[in-house]
Amino acid sequence: MKAVWIALLYVCLFGLSIYVYSTQLNGPDADLHQRLLPVEIKTVKAGTSKNELKEIVLDAGKDGDVLSIAGMQHSQGGQTMYPNGIMIDMKPYNQIIEVDEDAKTVTVQSGARWADIQEAINPYGLSLKVSQSQNIFTVGGSLSVNAHGLDIRNGGLSDTVLSMRLMNADGEILQLSTSENSELFSAVLGGYGLFGIILDVTLQLTDDELYETQTASMPYSAYPSYFKQQVQNDPDAKMHLARISIAPDSFMEDMYAITYKSAKDQNLLPEHQKLKTENLVAVPKFFLGLSRINDAGKDNFWKAQKTYTKQINGNLVSRNNVMRSDSEFMEYDNSRKTEILQEYFVPVDQFEDYIPALKTVLEANPDFNLLNVTIRYVEQNDNAVLSYAKEDMFSLVLLINQGTDAESIQATQDVVRQMIDVTLAHNGSYYLPYFGYPTKAQMKEAYPRTEEFFDLKDRFDPEHRFMNLFYEEYRP
Amino acid sequence: MNYKRFIYYQGTIGMASSMIFPFYILLIRNVGDSYAQFGWAYGLFALTAALCYPLIGKYADRVGDKTFLAVYSWGMAILLLFFPLASEVWHVYILQVLMGVLGAVQKNSEKTVLARYVTKEIAGSQIGRYHFWTSVAAAIAVIATGYLVDFLTIASIFYIASAVFAWSGLQLAKVKAAEA
Repeated sequence: MKAVWIALLYVCLFGLSIYVYSTQLNGPDADLHQRLLPVEIKTVKAGTSKNELKEIVLDAGKDGDVLSIAGMQHSQGGQTMYPNGIMIDMKPYNQIIEVDEDAKTVTVQSGARWADIQEAINPYGLSLKVSQSQNIFTVGGSLSVNAHGLDIRNGGLSDTVLSMRLMNADGEILQLSTSENSELFSAVLGGYGLFGIILDVTLQLTDDELYETQTASMPYSAYPSYFKQQVQNDPDAKMHLARISIAPDSFMEDMYAITYKSAKDQNLLPEHQKLKTENLVAVPKFFLGLSRINDAGKDNFWKAQKTYTKQINGNLVSRNNVMRSDSEFMEYDNSRKTEILQEYFVPVDQFEDYIPALKTVLEANPDFNLLNVTIRYVEQNDNAVLSYAKEDMFSLVLLINQGTDAESIQATQDVVRQMIDVTLAHNGSYYLPYFGYPTKAQMKEAYPRTEEFFDLKDRFDPEHRFMNLFYEEYRP
Repeated sequence: MNYKRFIYYQGTIGMASSMIFPFYILLIRNVGDSYAQFGWAYGLFALTAALCYPLIGKYADRVGDKTFLAVYSWGMAILLLFFPLASEVWHVYILQVLMGVLGAVQKNSEKTVLARYVTKEIAGSQIGRYHFWTSVAAAIAVIATGYLVDFLTIASIFYIASAVFAWSGLQLAKVKAAEA
């Protein structure tokens, strides 16, 4: 009898522990994520106020030090670091300065994470117009990589920035927007921290809304027309993503799509407004773990994803919760291997020709361990000097598992360069925050204004106070 | 408690503890990051154990091995539920101190049970057999866990180990019932 009581008490404690763990301690890992690119830096400094940041900048000027700016450091090409430089950690500079309910705007310090903003604006029934699919990143980081997300109606992240303030290499604070210092504004968006420190940002918000999840499955060739008819031309469709199979059974053929459409009955919104936390990490992590190992694992992962997608059809979810995609299950700790991302953009009309061409490259390289391909939509956008959305495009994000030794890096580089060539041949472009695999020539072709970008850098920061490895690698 | 059941029990808790000990270091790495902190964490464990042995020894004969083993099983089962929640170095220190107490309970009881049940004339082969089976269990657990960490989070390892300890506690209770 005593044993029964002990067992009961234990079960209660077990549940309580898991509850506390999943609700409170599930924050992002603050570790550095620079496994492929170990760089010795001099020191890391953090500023929590404008004055402290100014002091760091002015001291660096006096001492001839080089500064790099870091948020969550998930860029993979050394955009946040420079050898023997001082890294400014922006994470503590994270206050939500003001939520203006009437104007539907929020002003935040650049180290604030998207999750922090969501927590601040959700009680007002407000929502971000555009954010990255994962909410673990800092606002300053996302702007510096000119990120995009699942939203298909509000353009790019840069379209939602009403204004921001930038501290330049002289410690001066400049107001930037499309009408003020607009040249610098379009260089700082997707500027990889080369022009100064983004201090605070005012973002345009929209109303939180209840969505109904609509899922579908199709061959890749049917996807562009599905997208145009069922998603783009349906004014109720607000957010969208799709995945294409990497499983051997249906490699680069089979797809599923998830679209979030305005629900008929918005009165149900309050029931769904509570922000969700990441709970079931173990299940997707288990399947992703299997798919890293072999083909059978990949087949199982794809089947599990498709089953899951079918199940969520019709589910109601708030806009804010759609913008909180899980990411923790992707965390990966291995001393000899790491996981990298690639992202390619192709015009909507090129998609059908592009996929078989990409497939040919991948099939010719059977050792290339591709784990996932997520497809989203980006509208034509030229706010940034380094704009990747030259027309309305599909973006493909590739998750790749690779070794960290020189041979593996070389092998991945070969495949990546081939994939980029194929992408460029289809009038596409690629995303810049990742490891420096692409050649300078490829960058120039994907980004015709590359030279202008680096010239602007040299003009606005002639002493190169702000530097990173991306500049070193790609300055023409 | 018969000798076979005791080996079975020790095998089970050996599995549970070798699931966590090698990987426990990964948790400390996330929580603290200096060698001195590692030293203190393990030093506190050994030091508390040392202080507990005389006391445990004194009561071992009076209280009985089974009770002590039950305290260990349930104590570990509950303690491990707090590991995933540790976020500061001092949390780890406190957990290490409590682990030190429980570790001493287990080590002392292990030896007293052996001393009571082993036949003097064939003690060598009996203790050899005991170590063989418990080590096999530990080896299997540690290898399997290595793979598990790749698939699951570190936190889930602690929860699984905790459940195994709880199960071992239930097994002990069964022994008691059967004997009574």
